[in-house]
Amino acid sequence: MEPRQTPGKENMGSKRKNLTFLRPRLYMLERRKTDTVVDSSVSGDHSGTLRRSQSDRTEYNQKLQEKMTPQTERSSAETPTPEEEQQMGRMMAKRAKIIRELIQTERDYVTDLELCVREVVQPLRNKQVDRLDVDGLFSNIESVHQISAQLLSLLEEATTDVEPAVQVIGEVFLQIKGPLEDIYKVYCYHHDEAHSVLESYEKEEDLRQHLSQCIQSLKNIYMQEGKPNLLDMGSLMIKPIQRVMKYPLLLCELRNSTPPSHPDYRALEEAFTAVKDINVNINELKRRKDLVLKYKKNDEDESLKDKLSKLNIHSISKKSKRVTNHLKILTRGESQVKDNTFNREEKLFRSLEKTLRLCVKNISSCLQHIEAMPFTLQSVAELREISYRDGEENCGEPQSHASNPCQDFVARSQKLILTPLSALLSLFPGPQKLIQKRYDKLLDYNSSLPRSAADESDLAKREYEALNAQLVEELQAFNQAARKILLNCLRSFVTLLRDLMLMALEAYSTVKPVLLPVLSIAEIQNRVLEEVQNLNFVKDNSSTFIERKLSFEKKKPAQILPEVPHQTDDHRSKLLSTYGAEEIYRAKRKCNATQEHDINLLEGELVAVLEQKDPLGSTSRWFVDTGFVKGYVYSSFLKPYNPAKEQKADAENRFCDDDFENLSLFVSCRPAGDSVTGTPEGSISDSSSSLSGTCGKFETNGADADNFQEVDEQIFYAVHAFQARSDHELSLQEYQRVHILRFCDLSGNKEWWLAEAQGQQGYVPANYLGKMTYA
Amino acid sequence: MSWIPFKIGQPKKQIIPKTVERDFEREYGKLQQLEEQTKRLQKDMKKSTDADLAMSKSAVKISLDLLSNPLCEQDQDFLDMVTALDTAMKRMDAFNQEKVNQIQKTVIEPLKKFGSVFPSLNMAVKRREQALQDYRRLQAKVEKYEEKEKTGPVLAKLHQAREELRPVREDFEAKNKQLLDEMPRFYGSRLDYFQPSFESLIRAQVVYYSEMHKIFGDLTQQLDQPGHSDEQRERENEAKLSELRALSIVADD
Repeated sequence: MEPRQTPGKENMGSKRKNLTFLRPRLYMLERRKTDTVVDSSVSGDHSGTLRRSQSDRTEYNQKLQEKMTPQTERSSAETPTPEEEQQMGRMMAKRAKIIRELIQTERDYVTDLELCVREVVQPLRNKQVDRLDVDGLFSNIESVHQISAQLLSLLEEATTDVEPAVQVIGEVFLQIKGPLEDIYKVYCYHHDEAHSVLESYEKEEDLRQHLSQCIQSLKNIYMQEGKPNLLDMGSLMIKPIQRVMKYPLLLCELRNSTPPSHPDYRALEEAFTAVKDINVNINELKRRKDLVLKYKKNDEDESLKDKLSKLNIHSISKKSKRVTNHLKILTRGESQVKDNTFNREEKLFRSLEKTLRLCVKNISSCLQHIEAMPFTLQSVAELREISYRDGEENCGEPQSHASNPCQDFVARSQKLILTPLSALLSLFPGPQKLIQKRYDKLLDYNSSLPRSAADESDLAKREYEALNAQLVEELQAFNQAARKILLNCLRSFVTLLRDLMLMALEAYSTVKPVLLPVLSIAEIQNRVLEEVQNLNFVKDNSSTFIERKLSFEKKKPAQILPEVPHQTDDHRSKLLSTYGAEEIYRAKRKCNATQEHDINLLEGELVAVLEQKDPLGSTSRWFVDTGFVKGYVYSSFLKPYNPAKEQKADAENRFCDDDFENLSLFVSCRPAGDSVTGTPEGSISDSSSSLSGTCGKFETNGADADNFQEVDEQIFYAVHAFQARSDHELSLQEYQRVHILRFCDLSGNKEWWLAEAQGQQGYVPANYLGKMTYA
Repeated sequence: MSWIPFKIGQPKKQIIPKTVERDFEREYGKLQQLEEQTKRLQKDMKKSTDADLAMSKSAVKISLDLLSNPLCEQDQDFLDMVTALDTAMKRMDAFNQEKVNQIQKTVIEPLKKFGSVFPSLNMAVKRREQALQDYRRLQAKVEKYEEKEKTGPVLAKLHQAREELRPVREDFEAKNKQLLDEMPRFYGSRLDYFQPSFESLIRAQVVYYSEMHKIFGDLTQQLDQPGHSDEQRERENEAKLSELRALSIVADD
């Protein structure tokens, strides 16, 4: 029993180098890793008998045995009496058996794993079936296989050619425990998911087909080796878990059957605790994960009904306890369990979340605006179109690559920045919920602390700690990754902006303008604009409406003005001499021409009616001669000219009437005429005065030269003799001079004129009369 | 005026020579198009300058929000980066403002001034059109009487119609001549008028974008690790995202 650990240790040392690839790493990250199968260092005892069930049975027996008799063995190991020697011998034999058992089961296990990898995992991987996530099913089973092979070879090294007295098994486990823990953690961590994945695959026909094929080939191998007990996919997958749980049992047995004096005893003790720790850790990990999953799933997909149904007394009391506790902490500053790492990470997490949210919002709004930027180029193109002659192509085509940079930029930004950021942002709610839950649990924990009701407190504490540990661990990873992504995205954004600017610059540089100083631009444009303003149509039409109206009013009188010659006495006498008295009419009022060929008449002017209708046949407009012009006048303005009647009328009355009429007319007409036409005052007043003069002379009925022609107009002679047939008529001698008072009878009949001769008045037929001539 | 449909076209042709009418239509068409263009351009310029301003404002907001974030207090690297970004964004905003101001002065305002001429033109054209209609109406009247038997009243009416026609025709001819003379001049003036604007616009944009390119180029160099392409960053992001999704605290969906 001399301690000869050295060779074993050396061997192990060399083996340990092989293990360097199993450096501890974040087990989570290994999930998707495709482990390459390193050639198993096990000197392949592949044909080794598969005695699984057998070994299981023996293990079980040993365990039972051990449980039944721990005390005796312990105590017996203390004194080296012959009895004890014997006992020692028994123990050593038992130990050897256990070691053999350990190695044999390990070998079986490794073989199983190898077969599994070879017959199931690899073919499935090679098939590359869509939707069949081999990694999801087996996670890192290759690593598991490797580490087991490693363990097996170490165990074999430690036992073969080594005296039983110096065989140190514990050391082997101690050496390998680090990688062992990591690898099994990953496997166990994912096993639950793998199981559910498997169940989902079983439901799909084609996927099940693939799986059962592999299983079948594996079955065949087992059949050949005489081990028909199988074995479905699930049992394959759970094997590593069963195995890792068996290590503590085996080591415990081994330790118990190892004499305390044996060099392996201490090592075994340590190895046993180590392996037990591994199991505990794995359990804890799973529990934490379950807890996390529980709370994460908690609020998702939950209807109000579910929530209500969950609202039982327990949850209410829990909640109210939390609230009071929270208040207690707030008010009394009660000591609280703190975790600085967590607080830091949480703060980081929250600010990251806020940053990301704002970033996504701002960047997308920025992108929207950038999308509108082609407008600029478009307007440039439009301006160019305006400012160059048709067909003049002295500059490039900016619009050909105009819209591309912006669209391209936006698309790339979406891809490079917004997509990852949004994806990242969508990952935040899960941790947020958990953080909230952690606070709840912390409150539970705090509240249970003072009372320290052992059981409850323990539960609360464990829950809190599990959550906290998980959060601290993963939040760190989360924050780092999120920060990295954020920074990457910002960098991409800047780079993209730079590229965009370059592209835009290039788009514009294709247009090479002649450069002018800014000031001269304004000058040139003002000059051009001035020229334009000087164009007539601009000048005529740009003025405001009122101005236009004014100018319009001014223009019209200017046209009318020259057309207003007035009747002179010559004209009047000519009229009276050329036309019969019955044809002569007087303008009752001033009459302005309103239509083509109308003539203007002043009040009192005389006209000879040539035709009592106009060319259109209307009798309201008469064709008249004023002595110097012929034209149309509305008949309503005219009244027959009857000097005799005027003469006969009462002088004052007549005068007043006429005068009054004149006055009113002049009042109404003159001012308008003055203001509007601005005709020389003299001409109008001349004519009016002359008219009133003539009127006055009619009244005196004098035959002086002044009113000669007026009177003359009414002097006719009888061409034929006419015998009056009644009192109303007047008898005429041939060549008798008569004075015609009115050129129509009372009913307006022009055939009968009212005549006066030798103091008598009466009607005579107009066609009996002839104009007096002085020839 | 004849109301028989197939006669409608006839007097028109007789009144004004086809070529004159065609010339007029062509010149006025060009100007109408120009008016349309200036209006559209004015609108587009407004839109684009607004978009430019909004873009730089939102860019500034990105960096401002980043800068005001508590993350900066904890992370010096991040703070440096964000500060650099903020500086760049603010400079961009300033340059943009300047650019927009210049465009406003040299492009948009002249456009407005030029556009204000068009109402006068349209008014003048409308007047001409009115005159033309009067002219046509009277001409038709004259023709109607000319075709009729030469009786007294007809002759009188013919005379009257002719008298009425003369000033109207003169009015129309004057207006037509004026417009035909001046429209091409107006149309031509746009070249001298807008070329400076165009050049100024281009120059403003070129200056702005070259400045921006410089700013962001510098910023890229300052921020970026050399040799990191977009694709690499994208891959890295993908990797990080899948890492995150693998975390148990992250809800997987």
